[in-house]
Amino acid sequence: MPRFPLFRRNRTAASKFEDLMRPHVEFLYRLAWRFTGSVADAEDLLQDVLLKLYPRSGEVARIEQLRPWLAKVLYRQYVDFARRRARSPLADPAEEGSDEDEAAPASPEDDGPEARAERGEWRERLLAALEQLNPEQRAVLTMHDVEGYSLEELEALLEAPLGTLKSRLHRARRRLRAVLGMEPFASGERVKE
Amino acid sequence: MDCRQFALRMDDWLDGQLDAAARPSMQHHLNGCAGCRSGYRRAEELRAELRSLPAPEMRPGFAAQALARAAGARPRTERRVRLGLGMALATGVALALGVGMLLFAVRPEPVQTVVLSVRQPESVRLVFNAARALPGSTLTLRLPENVAIVGYGDRRELTWTTDLREGANLLRLPLVVNGPAAGDLVAQLSRGASTKTFRVKIKVRGADATGERPARFASL
Repeated sequence: MPRFPLFRRNRTAASKFEDLMRPHVEFLYRLAWRFTGSVADAEDLLQDVLLKLYPRSGEVARIEQLRPWLAKVLYRQYVDFARRRARSPLADPAEEGSDEDEAAPASPEDDGPEARAERGEWRERLLAALEQLNPEQRAVLTMHDVEGYSLEELEALLEAPLGTLKSRLHRARRRLRAVLGMEPFASGERVKE
Repeated sequence: MDCRQFALRMDDWLDGQLDAAARPSMQHHLNGCAGCRSGYRRAEELRAELRSLPAPEMRPGFAAQALARAAGARPRTERRVRLGLGMALATGVALALGVGMLLFAVRPEPVQTVVLSVRQPESVRLVFNAARALPGSTLTLRLPENVAIVGYGDRRELTWTTDLREGANLLRLPLVVNGPAAGDLVAQLSRGASTKTFRVKIKVRGADATGERPARFASL
């Protein structure tokens, strides 16, 4: 049966795009979640990236190191997303009460309920503390301290010089420790030599 | 080296970025300073916690759905969004409104009422339930006379461009009534050529009962 040529062309483009992107979607989702700390936001962010990239499929196909390039695109989109969110008056009602779909993922450790509860509580605090960072700080901290990228790798991914990244990371950690009440140098004994 | 210098270089040390020449003085300081030892240990603990922070699994089917949406983007998304908005405006977008503990869902058509006390800021919550995500929507609020949003001075009209998520979107408004409130708070939501207007009547608490306020309040 003859097929409508435009439909066939679109289908081919779609399946090429899917083949190209499929191996990276899970990685991008995880990174998006690291950036946003929210399942809904991670999905929105990833969807935005995919929508943006589809019309550029040809260009994407020619990228040699696709994963770091995609991470860079996601990062840019995240910064834009976070700034738009900060300007928006709207919040998610779930943030006020139920956080059913934002529940912390199940802990892989097999220990007692008390330890799990404590760990869950601590992780919630940690996630809440990450919310206090600006998008650039959160990105460098999560990509370096959580995902394990080196600062040299992040120079290209986050498009910032090493010195800027170091100071951004330093401020992010300091802020995080302060929010968590772990800032080591806020009080206490001091030694001067 | 003092504690401040130690703190400044601690991250470099933790990251393995500290030059070899600086390491002995850092170590020497650490050995002699209980405060910095404790801080260093906490910083290491935090790094370990961050490294072990699990991320949730992607929702089953999401990858296929997201890729399909991206591939169908141009012709389908715009049409779906426009239809979505149209349907939403006709039947799906409801304005829910609550004050304090009171939260009641309402249909868009009836004018809802909020009762506030004079000069006592109260948080009024408007919940926009969108049938689907509506990115790039414009939300405009128009305030009646003598009603202000705390922090916005005397501004009578505020406009934001915002992304509405599918489902409930909360707008929390710290409102204060400074005198006889007349008219409605108007929330106008628009996207492209479609616009929907919601109205909320502002009443003053006790205005018709205490006699402390002008009689004209009785009609509110």
